[in-house]
Amino acid sequence: MSTIAAPIAFQTRLARTELVKGLRLMWRRRSMVILGMVMYGATYLGISLFIGGGHLVKDLMARTLPALLAVVVASVATVEGVGGISEEIIGGTLEQTRLSPASPQLQALGRMASLAIEGLAVAIVLGVVFFLAAGLDIKPHPAALIPAVLTILDALGYGLIMTALTVRLPSIGAISHVGNMVVMAFGGMLIPISFFPSGLEIFAKFVPTTLGVLSVNTTLAGRGLGATWSDGTLPWLLVHAAVVFVAGFSLYVINIRRAQREGGLSPR
Amino acid sequence: MNTAIALRNEIRKGLRFAWSERLQILIELPMFAVFVILLGPLLGQGENLTSGRVDWSLNSQTTSAMVVWMVPFIFFYMQVVKMFWRILGEIQAGTLEQVFLSSLPPWLVAAAGRVVAALLETLFVAAATYGIVSAFVSIHLHWSIAALLPTIAVMIAAIGLSLIIASATLVYKRIQIVNDTVLLVVMIFSASALPLIHVPGWWADVSHAFPLTDAVGSLYNIMIAQHFVTSTWGVGGLVPLLTIPTAYLLAGIGTFIVGERVAKNRGTLGRY
Repeated sequence: MSTIAAPIAFQTRLARTELVKGLRLMWRRRSMVILGMVMYGATYLGISLFIGGGHLVKDLMARTLPALLAVVVASVATVEGVGGISEEIIGGTLEQTRLSPASPQLQALGRMASLAIEGLAVAIVLGVVFFLAAGLDIKPHPAALIPAVLTILDALGYGLIMTALTVRLPSIGAISHVGNMVVMAFGGMLIPISFFPSGLEIFAKFVPTTLGVLSVNTTLAGRGLGATWSDGTLPWLLVHAAVVFVAGFSLYVINIRRAQREGGLSPR
Repeated sequence: MNTAIALRNEIRKGLRFAWSERLQILIELPMFAVFVILLGPLLGQGENLTSGRVDWSLNSQTTSAMVVWMVPFIFFYMQVVKMFWRILGEIQAGTLEQVFLSSLPPWLVAAAGRVVAALLETLFVAAATYGIVSAFVSIHLHWSIAALLPTIAVMIAAIGLSLIIASATLVYKRIQIVNDTVLLVVMIFSASALPLIHVPGWWADVSHAFPLTDAVGSLYNIMIAQHFVTSTWGVGGLVPLLTIPTAYLLAGIGTFIVGERVAKNRGTLGRY
């Protein structure tokens, strides 16, 4: 192995170890993962029934289902990211993770990769169930994969920001709860955001996952990537996802290093 | 005398916890008002939305009903969610075992330590929600002393449910998702007590088994429909209004006792 390849292989192994640890933890609480899936499904069903006046409006659901899937990825990344770090701080094991040769960014990458797998698994199952059970008129299109991937990055970046704040803010539980409610309310899960009054629509476009859902809906409607690029949604999604993701990583690294200096990695 | 002192101490401890969580409560506060303001104009508008017509004006009658629906839910949230976090925090910090040194039964320590704080928090959040929503639309409520009966029923049911959740926390620990699921189901099913949406027959029937439904129905009857609480059965009737919360309280106490025994036997009351 060359002198350059060796550290890369080592770093990859460290990231993979974090990923495997995350997946093992997920497997240990698999009943909670299933219960969470039922919860997200019930929430969506309940909201759809409220808005439909007691029955399901399929045309509307076909446009709000992608937002549910984005909400699931964002919520899983946030709830499990924040919960995992809080538990490690209280349990005193977060300090031990800094004995590892892996950098904080590598550990964050591993954590987020496992949470992405968990969120995507739940989202895919929910998507298939609603698509088949409600008989929604959605025509899957390969072009939708590009905005879908960017939406996932956007959601994970948001989850990482919340996770990074855990070491600094004791009230992070409430903040993440409210943050997830905002993503749910303004991300297009209640109704497509184009129905919002213009001021609210502009605000909604800043909320994580909203631009992604808009872009995915445009491509699923068969108008192609060109349409979502030319109306400005896809370029803004690209910028939004990049900014949120980089901000999440930077904040995580800064906060972990600061907590390490100030003794904030364990209960005080 | 000792019991009264122990009870007072637990209530004081609960209030101190609540004070330490004041920032969290302030952060959560707008959530309920936004929910009412945003969902109010959208209720039952599904077909109109598909044809591109949305009327964002808030209807006074619908919004008043939603406030009557939301305020008891806020109490449930404050009692159940915060009880879970407090128990979990005490398990992780290793102080929960000390509860068993108290002269009071552990379920009473857990319940008493939370309920007064939850009541005060709810008063604050409900008043703020009322204030924020009424800035957008006038809320018409008929204030009556009779509303105390369903209010007490809400409190008893919430204590019962929170004890069930606390018991599950003692045994399974990180059950945040269960907590959220239970609250969500309680909220969704309690909507059948209000004339907000048409629900299927099975939904209306099943909803009586949930702890909030008949109390919300009774509050609606008193504070909006201006009917006295005299009917025995039906939504908000005296029989379900009194029996369901009592059943939840008894089930909560029983479950807590079982949960604490399991946790003691497994040695999981603390963090080792």
